[in-house]
Amino acid sequence: MSKPPVLRAENITKRYGKKVVLNNASLSICERELKILIGPSGSGKSTFLQCINFLVTPDRGRVWLDGREILRTHKRDLNAYRQKVGMIFQDFNLFDHLTALANVEIGLTRVRKMGKEEACEKAMQELDKVGLRDHIAKYPAQLSGGQKQRVSIARALAMDPEVMLLDEPTSALDPELITEVLAVIKDLRANGMTMIMSTHQLNFASEVADEIIFLEDGIIVEVGPPDKILYEPECERTIQFCSKMRELYGNSR
Amino acid sequence: MGEMDFIQNEVLPSLFEGLGTSILLIIPSAVFGLVIGVAIGVFRVFGNPLTEKLASTYVAIFRGFPLVVQLFIWYFGLPHLGIYFSPYTASIIGFSLCSGAYHSEYVRGALLSIKRGQLLAAQALGFTRTGTIVSVILPQALRRALPGCGNELIYLIKYSSLAYMITCIELTGKGKIIASETFKFTEIFMIIGIFYLVMTTIAGRLLQYVEFRLEIPGFEHYGA
Ligand SMILES: Nc1ncnc2c1ncn2[C@@H]1O[C@H](COP(=O)(O)OP(=O)(O)O)[C@@H](O)[C@H]1O
Ligand SMILES: [Mg+2]
Repeated sequence: MSKPPVLRAENITKRYGKKVVLNNASLSICERELKILIGPSGSGKSTFLQCINFLVTPDRGRVWLDGREILRTHKRDLNAYRQKVGMIFQDFNLFDHLTALANVEIGLTRVRKMGKEEACEKAMQELDKVGLRDHIAKYPAQLSGGQKQRVSIARALAMDPEVMLLDEPTSALDPELITEVLAVIKDLRANGMTMIMSTHQLNFASEVADEIIFLEDGIIVEVGPPDKILYEPECERTIQFCSKMRELYGNSR
Repeated sequence: MGEMDFIQNEVLPSLFEGLGTSILLIIPSAVFGLVIGVAIGVFRVFGNPLTEKLASTYVAIFRGFPLVVQLFIWYFGLPHLGIYFSPYTASIIGFSLCSGAYHSEYVRGALLSIKRGQLLAAQALGFTRTGTIVSVILPQALRRALPGCGNELIYLIKYSSLAYMITCIELTGKGKIIASETFKFTEIFMIIGIFYLVMTTIAGRLLQYVEFRLEIPGFEHYGA
């Protein structure tokens, strides 16, 4: 581990009322790595990811990108940082009033202040990459879940992010649509995108992850390479969770 | 002179003049009212606690005071403080502020109906808060607010008739003057009623057209 991390989050803590939803969670990720967050529903995966780009304000904790600490209170820095950290949501969150193309363009024209023509061209390229060339004129309500998620990936990619955060990108999809989205993510991985992703797809995790982070009740219980976490975990809770997931989603080996 | 001739030669020209004044009251009030309504609605939902409080107070007052009373205050009350408005200006101020208060309620409801995910997605792309509201939230919310705001515009057309109470002689005011001179109350007020009906019908059609033009899959108003 000689390379410095691209993104580093340290001791992130978040409470809702009295409940500690995230307790001193830390992670760092180097260029081209893919780290996968697993854990039961309600364990704090979404909160962790959203604290990393400050969509949720952590009560405590610090975040660095390329060695520079991000200060939430400096609005301009924060917005610049968010451009470099793409976010994919479980329920897509496409802009409902815009076509697929406009969804991808809007960040370019309004945030990056790119010219209309250039933005359109780039948006087309990004949509092409996720296999949606023929659907650019459709509105979110006219797209399938898998297509929506691919548009949202194109929208994030258009900003040329250094890191992507993916929050259960396939959890809202019908089983037959999951593969098309996972294929896009594998593509990103092959092209060297740095990613932190939460998922229940353990097969996928074991195939592509550099590291798996197991989160439970807001605490990082165990961290390690997929082979260790999924097949030889040390903690009892990790063992229980993984076997339960296998029951639900099928065995990977 | 026959009845019809009298109405055609004496009454109608006068009423059309009043109608002109009415339209000159309605259009600016509608525009200002909408702008105020959107601004107040945004402050109430996305403002800081202070602007939120100010905006709510505004709405409480301007929805709570009878409109005639508001007009009296603008026209008869403020001169005591050394502020003078013409009847026309006072009417427009009164209508815009009152209409804005009602619009803001429709806008507020529509803003609240936009899912939080839309805001999160925009922020995650690096949008500023204002940019998020302007580029993502309002375009959606205004589509949803349109039926309600349209309703308020129709009301405005009708309550513009209150302007004559502060001596801005518009359609209803003109009618009242001619009617008391000629005692043809029924005929004149029927004609006036029909004028308002025509205005509200045209406005209704225009609003329908706007809704149709702005319609987007996922934002249809079924059966409306
Ligand atoms: N806005 C909120 N207010 C209160 N509690 C919340 C809020 N968001 C999340 N939580 C709670 O925080 C915990 C972690 O949630 P989340 O991060 O969404 O978990 P996961 O993504 O792993 O399912 C859950 O118990 C959830 O109920
Ligand atoms: Mg979640």
